[in-house]
Amino acid sequence: MNPLEELANGVSHLQHSFDSAFVFGPVTQYVFWMVICLAITLIVVLVAGRKLTLVPKSKFVHMVEYGYDFVRKDMGENAIGHGYKKHVPFLATLFFFILISNFVGLIPGCKTPTGTISVTWALALISFVYFNWQGIKAHGGWGYIKSIAPSGLPKPMVPVIWFFEFISLVLRALTLAVRLYGNMFAGHMVLAIFAAATSIFISAAASNIVFGAVSIGWFALLFIMYALETLVAFLQAYVFTILSAVYISLATSEH
Amino acid sequence: MELTFEALKLVGYGLATLGPGLGIGIACYGCCMGTARQPELQGRLFTNFIIGAALAEALALIGFVLAFIL
Repeated sequence: MNPLEELANGVSHLQHSFDSAFVFGPVTQYVFWMVICLAITLIVVLVAGRKLTLVPKSKFVHMVEYGYDFVRKDMGENAIGHGYKKHVPFLATLFFFILISNFVGLIPGCKTPTGTISVTWALALISFVYFNWQGIKAHGGWGYIKSIAPSGLPKPMVPVIWFFEFISLVLRALTLAVRLYGNMFAGHMVLAIFAAATSIFISAAASNIVFGAVSIGWFALLFIMYALETLVAFLQAYVFTILSAVYISLATSEH
Repeated sequence: MELTFEALKLVGYGLATLGPGLGIGIACYGCCMGTARQPELQGRLFTNFIIGAALAEALALIGFVLAFIL
C-alpha cells in the first residue's frame, strides 16, 4: 500500500487514541495522569520546602526557589502590583501544576492531563471563581458589578459598555480553558502524526529506498516540533498564570 | 470533492484565525519596538502585550469552539 494512504488511515486511528478511555474503574487515563502530576507537584514543593535555608545549598532547592521567584516577580509584582503578596501562593500553585502536567506529557508514553478539555475547564473555573471572589471582596457585591464598566464614561454609554465588558468577562473562563487545551492537544497531535509518518515510511523503505530517505525528513520535522512543543509547554503555563494574575489585578484595582 | 457542512466548519475556523494572527503579529511588533526603544519598560510592555494577545486570541478560540459544537 502507498505509505501516504496508510498515513491517512492511521490519522483517524490516532485521533481515537486521544479520547479518554477508562483505565480501571471510573478512572480515565487523563485523571490517572492528573493524580500523578499532582503527586509530583506536591513532592517537588514539599521536599524543597523542607530543606529551605537562607542561601539555597542544593541545586534542586535552587531550581524550585527560582521558579517561585519567577512567579513572584514576573507575574505577581509586574502584573498585579500593589497587594500582590496574598495572591502569590494561588498563582504559584497554578503555575507549577500546569508546568509539570505539560512537561509530563512530553515524555513518550505519558499523557498530558491538560490535553483534555475537562481538566482545563476545571483549572479555568478555579481561576474564574478566584478572581471574581477577590473582586467582590475588594469592592463589595454591587460595587464589583458596577466596576466591570470603566469609570469616567458618559452616562448613556455606561449600559452598552457594561454589557460588552460583561461578555468579555464571561468569555475569560472559556478562553483560558480552550487556549490551554487547544495548544496542548494540537501540539501532541502534530507530534503523533510526525512520529506515525516516520515509522510508516521506515517500514515502507523495504520496498522502495526513496521512502527511507523521506522518513529522515519526517524525523527531522518531528525533532524540530518536539523542541517547539517544549517551548509551548512552558509558554502555556506562563500565559495561563499571567492571565490569571492580570484578571485578578483588573478585578481588584480601583478604576 | 463535495463541499459539505463539515468541511465548511473547518474553512470557517481557518478564516477565524486570520484576524487574530494578524493582530497578535502587530501586537508583538509593537512590543518588540517599544522594548528596543525603552528596555527598562520591558516588564510592563510584555504584560500589556499578553493582555492584548489574549483578547485577540479569544476570537480564534471562539472559532475553534464553534467548529466543534455547531
